[in-house]
Amino acid sequence: MNQNKTDRTKMNDRQFDDIIKAALKGNAAAATPDDAAVARVLSRLKAAPLPPQKRAWWRLPSELLDWQFAPAWPRMAALAGCAVLGFTIGLAGLDQTFDRADAAPPALSLFDDSDGIGAGL
Amino acid sequence: MDDSDEALMARIARGDERAFHQLSQRHLPAMLGLARRVLGNAADAEDAVQDAMLRVWTHAPRWQPLAAFRTWLTRIVVNLCLDRKRRAPWVDLEQAGELADPAPNATEHAETTEREKLVAAAIAELPDRQRAAIILTYTEGMSNAQVAEALDTSVSALETLLIRGKQNLRRALKNVIED
Repeated sequence: MNQNKTDRTKMNDRQFDDIIKAALKGNAAAATPDDAAVARVLSRLKAAPLPPQKRAWWRLPSELLDWQFAPAWPRMAALAGCAVLGFTIGLAGLDQTFDRADAAPPALSLFDDSDGIGAGL
Repeated sequence: MDDSDEALMARIARGDERAFHQLSQRHLPAMLGLARRVLGNAADAEDAVQDAMLRVWTHAPRWQPLAAFRTWLTRIVVNLCLDRKRRAPWVDLEQAGELADPAPNATEHAETTEREKLVAAAIAELPDRQRAAIILTYTEGMSNAQVAEALDTSVSALETLLIRGKQNLRRALKNVIED
């Protein structure tokens, strides 16, 4: 009789765990947030301006080396186009006309006596 | 595009607000539930989780993916909840009792609800860290290692917390569980 009572009252850890689990499960169901609560927090997060982020100084080198070319692709394409155009003009010799026009006149030689000035020297 | 937690955190670290809102939307329901269980109050839970998400934004550039993002976020939420609990130590037990349990009959349902209400009240009375350990272990489906990480403690210390928490619960629920 007493043994039975002891068995009944003395709950083992597993039984106790089951009771806690069941109670917490029910409690969890009650505590599950509704969509309205989630939407409320989200809208509050979106409404207010976000605070400045804290940056770690030891990560500064990696941030400086973290090149992000993606937004600059049009400029890169323009630069590459200019380079190709330059090579094409140079290889085809299209710029030689300008070179000749820009060339300086040959320097006068002191010993050039074609005009007879230096004949007596 | 990779939209794992880690990838989103990398984008948030570069100041991407859209990634931040995407990550918030993903984790808000679970974190709100956890905060409600720890605090026992819906309004406070919303404030705590909002605060936690803002901390995620602020500290994102410093975050190192050494542990899972979810564990890190859980740690922030639990710490903020415990701080709030320390500042305003009261529990909304009314809410803990409003349960919707599909019991087979009315009497059994009432008994179950009553028991759950008493267990919830006893859990609410536990010391903060014991309560957090029990809630995380039994309701969040986290391993002991993850719970220990979330509570910023060792696995053995967590086990001690759980043992003490359960001893306290047994003591508090002595009359209930013997019926």
